[in-house]
Amino acid sequence: MQASINITPLVDVVLVLLIIFMVMAPQMRKGPDVNLPNTAKPSDQGDERGRILVSIDEERVMWINDQPVASEHFGEALREAVGAEPNPRVVIRGDARLKFGEVRRVMEAIDQAGFRGVGLIAKRAGAKGE
Amino acid sequence: MQLSRGGSESSLQSEINITPLVDVVLVLLIIFMVVVPLLMQGYDIDIPRSSADPVAAQAAESPLILSIEPTACHILGPLAGEGIPADCRVSLADEKFPAAELPAHVAEILGGQPPEKRVLFLAAADGLNYEGVLRILDLAKSGVENLKVEFITTN
Repeated sequence: MQASINITPLVDVVLVLLIIFMVMAPQMRKGPDVNLPNTAKPSDQGDERGRILVSIDEERVMWINDQPVASEHFGEALREAVGAEPNPRVVIRGDARLKFGEVRRVMEAIDQAGFRGVGLIAKRAGAKGE
Repeated sequence: MQLSRGGSESSLQSEINITPLVDVVLVLLIIFMVVVPLLMQGYDIDIPRSSADPVAAQAAESPLILSIEPTACHILGPLAGEGIPADCRVSLADEKFPAAELPAHVAEILGGQPPEKRVLFLAAADGLNYEGVLRILDLAKSGVENLKVEFITTN
């Protein structure tokens, strides 16, 4: 007659969950794999939730969140992705190998779809810093 | 495992107390669950309403324009390593200098301004490498705090 609760199964389950999350974490990002530009001091852009992610991959394919989008439907697809969200924030994840003009055209497309201001996502250059 | 039970007052516990372990692991789990939608970093950019209105308020006074031309700054292809080429020259308010001096120049011009007037207009040529432009933008932003950047087109 043991009075204490046997918590060993609980620990098992929790450990397994922990491992699952650790393994899944890198794969749970939205959008395609993009080789983000390295810069010295990018500022904080918050997390991915509540953001509309516009990605431009190396082949110049545009993505809105997880969907590739043809450029002629970009505006409506973007408005659809935003839906009824009151304060949408659009960020661009552009591949480092793109030309600036290609990113600029996407910024203008976002602007034309009625969104003011975007965030350009970069990643902090490794170890070496000022 | 010797279990001494049955009302004896000297009941030595032989089991390890794993409650703190469970606490720690649960907290770790919660941290991972929260961090999974990984944080992003980048730059806030404004796009002025193209062509129609010549960039509102601040522009009426004296806009500070940073322009990057492919002739003065060769960042056409993908960049190797970090930083930008040493021979890259940019022009800020019609003054040309190497990009490495950009933070100092921006600080000099905009440092004394109130934050709402710290606006930099960036005119970068379309042919430039995107990463290179972001690195120059990063240099400009490191000059002063709260620098607002707007992209404009030169033509």
